[in-house]
Amino acid sequence: MMSCSWKTDHSSTGPRRATAIAGLVLGLVAATAGTVPAPGAEGKAPAGNGEKITTSHWSYQPVRRPEAPQTGKAWAQGEIDEFLAAKLQEQHLEPSGPADRRTLIRRLYLVMHGLPPSPEQVEAFAADTRPDAWERLVDEVLASPHYGERWARHWLDVVRYADSNGFETNRERKTAWPYRDYVIDAFNSDKPWNQFVREQLAGDALGADAATGFLVAGPYDIVKSPDINLSLAQREDELADMVNTTGTAFLGLTMGCARCHNHKFDPILQKDYFAMQAVFAGVTHGERPWHPRPDPGKAPMLAELRKTLAGTEGRLEELRTMASAPALTGGGASALRPPVNHRMNVEEFAPAAAIAVRFTITASTGAEPCVDEVEIYDEAGNNVALASAGAVAEVSGTLPGYEAHKQEHINDGRTGNDRSWISNASGSGWVKISFPSAVRIHRIVWSRDRTEQFPDRLPTAYRFEVMAPPAGGPVISSRETSETSAPAAAAAAAAWTVVASSETRQPFAGGKADPDGVLSRLSGPQADEARRLKAEVAELRSRVAGLEGGSTAWLGTFSQPGPTFRLHRGDPLQKKEVVAPGALTVLNGPGMDVDTPEQQRRLRLGDWMASADNPLTARVQVNRIWHYIFGCGIVDTPSDLGVNGSRPTHPELLDWMADEFMKSGWSVKHMQRLILRSAAFRQSSAPRAEALKTDADARLLWRFPPRRLEAEAIRDSMLTVSGTLNQEAGGPGFYLVEVENENVMHYFPKEKFSPSEFRRMVYQTRIRQTNDGVFRSLDCPDGSLVMPRRSRSNTPLQALNLFNSRFVLQQADLFAGRLTTEAGSRPGDQAELAYRLLWGRAPDGFEKSASTAFIESGGLPAFCRALFNTSEFLFVF
Amino acid sequence: MHPLLSRRHFLRDTATGLGGIALTHLLSRGNLLANGVPIRPVINPADPNGTRRSHFTPKAKKVLMIFCSGAVSQVDTFEYKPELIRRHGQPMPGGANLVTFQGEQGNLNQSPWAFHPRGQSGKMVSDLVPHLGALADEMCFIHSLTGKTNTHGPGENFMGTGFTLDGFPSMGAWTTYALGTENETLPAYVAIPDPRGAPQSAGNFWGSGFLPASFQGTDFNASQPVRNLARPAGITPDSDKATRRFLSSLNRHHLERFPGDSELAARISSYELAARMQLSVPEVSDLTNEPAHILKMYGADQGGNPVKDLKAAYARNCILARRLVEKGVRFVQLFNGAYQTGGEGVSNWDGHKVLAEQYAKHGEVMDQPTAALLADLKQRGLLEDTLVIWCTEFGRMPTFQKGASGRDHNPEGFTAWMAGAGVKAGYSYGATDEFGYKAEVNPVTVYDFHATVLHLLGLDHERLSFYHNGVERRLTDVHGHPIMDIMEHPSRGLA
Repeated sequence: MMSCSWKTDHSSTGPRRATAIAGLVLGLVAATAGTVPAPGAEGKAPAGNGEKITTSHWSYQPVRRPEAPQTGKAWAQGEIDEFLAAKLQEQHLEPSGPADRRTLIRRLYLVMHGLPPSPEQVEAFAADTRPDAWERLVDEVLASPHYGERWARHWLDVVRYADSNGFETNRERKTAWPYRDYVIDAFNSDKPWNQFVREQLAGDALGADAATGFLVAGPYDIVKSPDINLSLAQREDELADMVNTTGTAFLGLTMGCARCHNHKFDPILQKDYFAMQAVFAGVTHGERPWHPRPDPGKAPMLAELRKTLAGTEGRLEELRTMASAPALTGGGASALRPPVNHRMNVEEFAPAAAIAVRFTITASTGAEPCVDEVEIYDEAGNNVALASAGAVAEVSGTLPGYEAHKQEHINDGRTGNDRSWISNASGSGWVKISFPSAVRIHRIVWSRDRTEQFPDRLPTAYRFEVMAPPAGGPVISSRETSETSAPAAAAAAAAWTVVASSETRQPFAGGKADPDGVLSRLSGPQADEARRLKAEVAELRSRVAGLEGGSTAWLGTFSQPGPTFRLHRGDPLQKKEVVAPGALTVLNGPGMDVDTPEQQRRLRLGDWMASADNPLTARVQVNRIWHYIFGCGIVDTPSDLGVNGSRPTHPELLDWMADEFMKSGWSVKHMQRLILRSAAFRQSSAPRAEALKTDADARLLWRFPPRRLEAEAIRDSMLTVSGTLNQEAGGPGFYLVEVENENVMHYFPKEKFSPSEFRRMVYQTRIRQTNDGVFRSLDCPDGSLVMPRRSRSNTPLQALNLFNSRFVLQQADLFAGRLTTEAGSRPGDQAELAYRLLWGRAPDGFEKSASTAFIESGGLPAFCRALFNTSEFLFVF
Repeated sequence: MHPLLSRRHFLRDTATGLGGIALTHLLSRGNLLANGVPIRPVINPADPNGTRRSHFTPKAKKVLMIFCSGAVSQVDTFEYKPELIRRHGQPMPGGANLVTFQGEQGNLNQSPWAFHPRGQSGKMVSDLVPHLGALADEMCFIHSLTGKTNTHGPGENFMGTGFTLDGFPSMGAWTTYALGTENETLPAYVAIPDPRGAPQSAGNFWGSGFLPASFQGTDFNASQPVRNLARPAGITPDSDKATRRFLSSLNRHHLERFPGDSELAARISSYELAARMQLSVPEVSDLTNEPAHILKMYGADQGGNPVKDLKAAYARNCILARRLVEKGVRFVQLFNGAYQTGGEGVSNWDGHKVLAEQYAKHGEVMDQPTAALLADLKQRGLLEDTLVIWCTEFGRMPTFQKGASGRDHNPEGFTAWMAGAGVKAGYSYGATDEFGYKAEVNPVTVYDFHATVLHLLGLDHERLSFYHNGVERRLTDVHGHPIMDIMEHPSRGLA
């Protein structure tokens, strides 16, 4: 695909030597003639043919698999170790001997799962005498679903994922999580990395819709300036976010520098930046339809939740009706019910026996009326209209051609515009629902769009009629239509009785008012109930949406964009020439026409990035894997392998791994398996004074470098040892903050936690710019910017949060409870079990006696509080 | 005390190891030690807020930043425009069809408050802020600030962090990253939120962005203590102390297996600093020993109606700010106005609709306590090495909005002032046009403003940087020049 345009000739003579001026490694070299000057700030690449941008910077050179050194050291377990051993030898450093098995299994679980192993797992491994015990353990760990939860969290840092918009309104994104779940699944299923890359750019074309959440995961300003110049600048910022994140996440390049001028350090032209911007020019932040395969195992829970939701919504609507009653509104004369609304309408009437119900619409707010669901309740509270309960729906006609609008949606138990019916006649239509046997009904609930998105096409004049079963007679089939014979039709007409209609409602006056404004008229227990129900409805809706896959998700929308211009100094008011979609000139980015279809642009960019000829993609990813396993990458600037980034400590090893990665079919797990099996990973973490002097950070891996765990691993570990970890995986997230909903959202740290908040932290609804009260202080990023490498800072606020917060104290109490339940009442036994749960080992003599004495004098909860704050608990060794 | 864990010893023992590594890392990028290139402070992880030297001799060692949230109108406070008064009620020339944040503009509107000359300098200041006006001789006004956005969140981000986007380190984080602290028992950087709540972009305003969390601001005020600082309810002091001791014994025992491991030792000392903060923060927040005349001077003794109650609460925050400055806290941020409990104009300076009514309250709350704070700092000699900054996210229009009695957003020209160490007193720099709309004389950017603050702290804003994700980041991005003209005997800075 690519003809090499970079130079590997490092000799100091000859015309093909890359130009290097004062740290600039960018040069433009004519293929046939002498050196030409570097492009200026205007980014004009020379016009003529055959002129290439070149660079001698290491990361742009093709990946070549070097031979592993042969050190002859017994320590080395394979190629990876050979590379490391050779470098250690150069520095006169010795690697460390193997760590003991209990340390090792804890290290493996913390690094790969972010959770400690159970005492049983530790004992089993400690006692496993098979020669391949370690290899088996590694395989087991890689096969666990907890593996994906851990490694997805790393990737979410890299792609600045969060569940709110950021900026000043900072609204929640309740449907961003499908992307998070997609990432977890991708790691767990060892999705080939090149495929993972492609899908995140163009999953809509590759059967992986949720993957495009990547494009729009960043902050998004919903407040558009009325000033056209400022709103153009906002759009430029949105596109810059996509270009920059794509560049850093996959290529390890800082594209952003080229927005205003040619990159000062890397061979990235300003034109390249705008070529990539043109790739994303048709991408807009927002939700789009999303239909994952439903999980049949969850069907009963889903049915139960839908029923509860219907009941809760019904009661809330009753309160709304109550609140708008004349006595409360002071309306006096009017005894009419509130007007219809798009989100939910409740019709209550005296219980009536029925074999069928007819809903006849005679006017709407415009166009063909739309209804998302008709629910009919019997006295026991069952929705007897459901198709799944045997009811049969017929309609006057359906607007043809829409997947979202079908007859069967009217009684499928699912609400929202995407599961609705639209009549084929403007302003009119009817729905008839027939029951398999006679029922007694008293309430009907119907809506235009229960999810409150669409207020149009609302029926405004209507009636509900009931057909009673024949008196004393057998239950007749109700499946007759208007085509039946005249006598039958007459009998049917006689049998329909109106039970509810718009006649008893106030006329519809427009749909803009806040539907819940009326609730403020309630007081006392009813006001409290309304508040509680609103919260419950929101929670239930999100759980239902989670189980049924929701109908839309925050995955971005796509449309064919207009031309992209290069902008002088990045200023949207200073348009220069039109730029076609593409990528890096220096790496022969894909050449596309100016009018390439939108989706094609992203596909082609993905293909180019995921190609084995692209020297960056594989290098960047194997380096990230290394970074998350050893705490520091071979290149310690994991999202910048460019000129401004650090140099690799082991360039040959990095290339060997990049090649191995691609040869393995881009298998992340294969690379992890190789690294985890190495002697380097399995060596002791004990410090040695002379080695500390030469290499304090153990960048050369003379020991396994100990490090403080990330916020998530600390929290998840506490939950694990206290025995409270809620293993619920996937779906909408849980909250560590209370949400206060004004025009701009406010969030306050929660002070009370229940099992729904005891899920793994990867499932936290992460709100930008918001402190959860405990873990943000532990360098936990909020998704405002990409975070390829977290700080591991150490502050007194961390100590205060871990020592005094409600969350940790509650976990300490729960841990104490577990110790009592499982170890009985003797302090010595309790201490023993605590050590096994935390560290998979028995306490030594000092620890045993100090712990026992402290439990006796200070109590078990205080003991647990202390253990959660120990260095040994907070670090991986 | 374990010898390794004494802060000073620890510093000495580990400085070579860790500092050396940081330096190696720096060198590994090559060519970065030449002149004019980034200066990244070398941070000892065991003592991230240890005192560090500035780039050149500083004028100021500490900063007190007073931020008024919601965008304070310059033409109702510190910028006197006779032409605005003369043309009151007339259309603004050239302003036809001017659409700003909320919509169309009405006519020019003079301030509801009269302006009077103040002090020796005769500086014209409005009756909305008479107490501050009385101190005009102490202040150095900048009337020609310009912003990049007319939306509050991005505007606050810009003033607070130098970027309109989220996620960048705040000015206080940059300062403590550069200089550390000189107080070992208090946080190096404290943010004091308004009694009504936080500003719109609180998370950014005192956040550390991509800088290590060591440099984030600790937020508390006179009525809201540091989260998780206090001993938890239900735990006795003895039990708390015993637990801490037990924890320490386990950690030290564990450390014996990792001799010389600086991160582990740092962990232990962080718990010790936390324990010291448990004493020092309540002590510094405890205003009971402040004499009656001080409370009176600040207005902290007032009350009896909602405005006076609020004023007293803000006044207590002002006293807290003074006490923190007194204790040597490097960067103190004091907020007036909030986005919770009301929003637009009600709980902050965002006077779109009924400016006279809303500003009357905000002026009452802000004026006397803020002025007392400045006067108190001066009488205690603290202005000698403390820079005081008063600022807001942008200005407001000299016109009223069409159909309203308030002013829309205006980033084209607005006012801030500085006082104290290194800046000229009784001085005004720059000006907007004859109506107060657009900066015309010596326009300055927020970048310039930030560069000036860093310069006064002895820091070259072009060289104080942190490598993040491929870019050598600065508070001032790639812009900004210190405003030398407002400085008294300016330092020359690095060659």
